[in-house]
Amino acid sequence: MILEILKSNNAKILRHDEKVTVALVPNDKLRTTAELLFKAGCYYATGAGVDERLLGVGFSMYHIFNCEAEGRYIIIKAVASNLKIPSITPIISGTNWAEREVMDMLGIFFDEHPEPVRLILPDDWPEGVYPLRKDFRYNERPPRVEFEQKREKKPGVMEVPVGPYHPALHEPEMFELYVKGEEIVGAVYRGFHIHRGMEKLAEGRMTINQIPFLAERICGICGYTHNCAYVQAIEDAAKIEVPERALYIRTILLELERIHSHMLWLGVAFHLLGFESGFMHTWRIRETFMDLAELLTGNRKTYGMNLIGGVRRDIDENKKKGLSEILDKTKKEIREIFDNATQMRELINRMEGIGVLSKKKGREIGVVGPTARGSDIDTDVRRDHPYAAYGDLEFKVPIYKDGDVLSRFLVRYEEVLESIWLIEQALDQLPPGDILNEEYELPEHTICVGATEAPRGEDVHFAIMGEGNKVYRWHPRAPTYNNLPAVPIMLKGEKLADAPIIIASIDPCFSCTDHIVIVDGEKVYRYSLDNYLGGL
Amino acid sequence: MNIIFIAINLAFALIIAPLIDGFERKIRARLQNRQGPSILQTWWDLIKLFKRPTIEPQDSIKPLYKLAPYITFTSVLTAYLIIPTVLPASTNFIGDLILVVYLLGLATLSFVIGAFSSGNAYAQIGSNRDVSLFMSEELLLAFIIGTIAVIGKSLSFDRLFPLPFRISSILALLLLFLVIYVASTRLPFDIAEAEPEIIEGPLIEYSGKHLGLLKYFVFLKRLLLYSLILDFIIPIQNPIRLICYLIGIIILSIVYSTLEAYYGRFRIDQAVGILKRASIVALIVWMIAVVGW
Repeated sequence: MILEILKSNNAKILRHDEKVTVALVPNDKLRTTAELLFKAGCYYATGAGVDERLLGVGFSMYHIFNCEAEGRYIIIKAVASNLKIPSITPIISGTNWAEREVMDMLGIFFDEHPEPVRLILPDDWPEGVYPLRKDFRYNERPPRVEFEQKREKKPGVMEVPVGPYHPALHEPEMFELYVKGEEIVGAVYRGFHIHRGMEKLAEGRMTINQIPFLAERICGICGYTHNCAYVQAIEDAAKIEVPERALYIRTILLELERIHSHMLWLGVAFHLLGFESGFMHTWRIRETFMDLAELLTGNRKTYGMNLIGGVRRDIDENKKKGLSEILDKTKKEIREIFDNATQMRELINRMEGIGVLSKKKGREIGVVGPTARGSDIDTDVRRDHPYAAYGDLEFKVPIYKDGDVLSRFLVRYEEVLESIWLIEQALDQLPPGDILNEEYELPEHTICVGATEAPRGEDVHFAIMGEGNKVYRWHPRAPTYNNLPAVPIMLKGEKLADAPIIIASIDPCFSCTDHIVIVDGEKVYRYSLDNYLGGL
Repeated sequence: MNIIFIAINLAFALIIAPLIDGFERKIRARLQNRQGPSILQTWWDLIKLFKRPTIEPQDSIKPLYKLAPYITFTSVLTAYLIIPTVLPASTNFIGDLILVVYLLGLATLSFVIGAFSSGNAYAQIGSNRDVSLFMSEELLLAFIIGTIAVIGKSLSFDRLFPLPFRISSILALLLLFLVIYVASTRLPFDIAEAEPEIIEGPLIEYSGKHLGLLKYFVFLKRLLLYSLILDFIIPIQNPIRLICYLIGIIILSIVYSTLEAYYGRFRIDQAVGILKRASIVALIVWMIAVVGW
């Protein structure tokens, strides 16, 4: 089916195996291909631009589609002619950010893009300097340029900034809410206050087996899943056989991470709804999972367990026993607190029918994870693209139809219980044997992709192998990247009081602070931290 | 003699009100599986605030902004002259019941005006919520006062303390219990301040001494309302009134803070809805009182 679509559009198949298809599509057929793929049920996962001048190609764009029905990732490649590629945003709105990111970072222009403005680069970054090009050194610092931004004032509408520092959000990002009375009439998201330049760092000065540790530091909550996705991408490219025991250990840790992440979110949700007791008790239970992670890996967070070809530490009988004992105990406690919480009418009332995202809109944007599953979109990387040991284990994917905050809440609650069940199964079936396979050869210039189901949704890592133990290009895409564009849609028409829980309902994961925004009526100044500290 | 007793009452309130908050914080912490700060913590917080400099925002209407905390604070202090706390002494005159209601109203209004004059968007949203809550609370309070006045056949507190034991007086006190819960800005009714939503709303721009006064006002208001409900129950000439009163305060704060620990925050429309329904109940209670039950 997919092959037919690609072939009917004169695509040249570069790679085709049981998990990944890579095809070079001519620019004039790019839009029709994308449209046909989207209609065939593939949603847009992410896009990555690559400076392939060193490989003798020029600039190219890789659009990555997730085809759940066939359990396959489809990567369509387009080569820029004269730095131009037709945009597919008019057809699939989910590509908006991916294309803007490439415009910012590589200077490839997308024809007919509806919103060709900066997304990632700060306003004081000079024009015409593109950081992800290969001739831009990783430690280069371009001079700052002056800028002034005009702000429009709408009559009768009050502007309420939620962020960049706000008690409801524990990371710096900003939602400009336009409010009439208590009703939100419009919302604008401004993000990317810090871009840590991890891709450049990895390509510039790290070796293949160092990047897992960098990847783990992408996120402070779900780092291990990034680590896994990267390692899987490389294992996919090099066709490495990972020992089964290692795959089971990865599964156990991934699920442990999901439980602690969901418990954290559920606690935050209670806090935002003013239910402080629920918040405290949820986090008390979460603490046992942090202890479990420490028992298995030596670290509460940032496990540092993966290498390409396996894991670094084994789970012995003692740890196994300790793990199952604690799981039995906490399972009861989790049920107790959440069964009580779901019986509290005023808590449920605050979430029911709030922040609705329709299935159609969700598909267009390409939302993933619990956000998608709360909107009746049946997607789960663990089931659709089995990785680690998920193919051997049995689990349920909870789906709710209403698309409101309550659905997303319940999806996460059920997933916590499913995860405990998964860990119990994996512990039971843990096969004996090695945990690390170090005998492999790395190919050159292979295009590969690795995906995991992070607590927040599908986490995709795209990579092109380089020469001599390096990657040529590495593009991680965290799930929140796909979920965030849905938030302004959820916010519109809701009450201001519900804004924090709606924003939090996608379980957003932003980044650490770097920029501050001073709203001064007409002008906006954006300072870097250095600048700010210099002024004090 | 009476004047000295009133002064003792006032001093008692000023010292004890923050301690009661500290006590309630401790209870909530225990219910939430935390150790919680010391009972004196609220006092330390206040002392710290009074030492800090105050800052007036650029966009504020400065005279109003600076005056509001003082009016709020003094109006609740004035109410202490009329409602006896630890000693059964007060200045009473015909209509002092109405005056207390007005003093509490004045405190809330100047609180809101100060917030409005700060020019902050969050403060304005917070004051908006405060006013709508105040309005619906006021309707309920009006019915309760009507009921109490009918039961005691007086508008002066000295003839209302304690209330005669009747069905309508028990119902009226239960409703008063609800109003006091709402008026003391507790979860789920702390909508105007809602920290995760609008960052303390009306208080957002206040700092230092002004913030300290406004926080102090909230604690004093809570103690005042506790005393009011206890005065309606405990006979004024009772020889062990003092002990009854202190035990009553402790019971009330345990009950209120336990309730608070088991609720999530309401949205303003939900809270107003609940208060409207309570007002209808209050109307029925008033009718019962008129009938003479």
